[in-house]
Amino acid sequence: MTNKERYKQAFSTLHTSSRLSLEVEEMALLQKKRKNTIAAAAIAACALIIGGSGTAYAADVGGIQEKLSMWFHGTQTKVEVSDNETGGYTFRYQTQDGAAEFQGAGGVSINEDGSTTALSAGELLDTINQYAMVETDENGAVWAYYYDQILNITDLFDENDTCRLLLSHDGTFIYLKVTREQDGSCSYSQHTEPLDGEAAEDYLYIVIEGTSSAPQ
Amino acid sequence: MRQSVQELVALYQNNLFAAAFHICRDAQDAEDVVQDTFVQYYTAKKEFDNEQHIRAWLIRVAINKAKNASRSFWRRNRIPLEEYMETLVFETQESADLFEVVMKLPEKYRIVIHLFYYEDYAVSEIANILHLSESNVKVRLSRGRRLLRSALKEEWDDDE
Repeated sequence: MTNKERYKQAFSTLHTSSRLSLEVEEMALLQKKRKNTIAAAAIAACALIIGGSGTAYAADVGGIQEKLSMWFHGTQTKVEVSDNETGGYTFRYQTQDGAAEFQGAGGVSINEDGSTTALSAGELLDTINQYAMVETDENGAVWAYYYDQILNITDLFDENDTCRLLLSHDGTFIYLKVTREQDGSCSYSQHTEPLDGEAAEDYLYIVIEGTSSAPQ
Repeated sequence: MRQSVQELVALYQNNLFAAAFHICRDAQDAEDVVQDTFVQYYTAKKEFDNEQHIRAWLIRVAINKAKNASRSFWRRNRIPLEEYMETLVFETQESADLFEVVMKLPEKYRIVIHLFYYEDYAVSEIANILHLSESNVKVRLSRGRRLLRSALKEEWDDDE
């Protein structure tokens, strides 16, 4: 038996499950559903740290273990972290109006052998900081945030309502693709390289000094 | 040219799943990748030169999506690889050993090994799919083979 035959025999055991739904009509619906799910997940991920518009008071946040910081709306914000005893952390930070907000979050890293290791609070915040955030304000302006960068990208969309940006921080580059939907909302994704079928030249390289014109 | 999605699903769903699994090492993530890849094909309206062009495009998209999935901080609870392997049926113990050893290789070797040994792609085609130089693919292939040979001994021929 050749190595190729051995390999094919070993990996022929991998099959998609019957749960995979691939009817064409369903797929169109699924795409929409998934986009909404992803958007909701992104919002939830942010909410984990920044809280909602209202103030959520935790009954018992335990002893504060660490004081860290995270980037939020282009501003480095101090965050007090305590273990929430459910495998995650409770984060607390002061909003501009002085209200304290609490939320829990946790995460794992995947090791080379497939096992998982719980992220420390610092690692979790570092990971979250690596993700750009895109928001549309009440006036319809679209804003992108990446570390200390605050960018009004409203006029950077092409004829297909897509905006492609190359952002950098400390020598790390991300390709950020933002698509304006028919309802005015935006979906976005970031990658370490241009998406298939796209070239690096398709992305507008942005270097922004921190500005103070963040949407209120 | 375009092929119908149903046709492509029948032809390639397991190939895309295997490619994605080599990156994610998680069945549910890999299934999501397969689903997303076909959705992207369906919505992309891209024209292709031939069937091989479509196949390579699908595999490239699946690999990119799998990389994104595996690096996303927003992930579901994953099933440990060992646990998932217990659900798989291998024809021989050698197959199970090979599967396990491959999954322990670094990602950059795993996917090159997979495209070469499972998908029968040539070095130049792998380079094109992964956007790497041919020499880079050769190096990864060589190092991956060496690791397989070292771990599997007589269960893996020296085919360098």
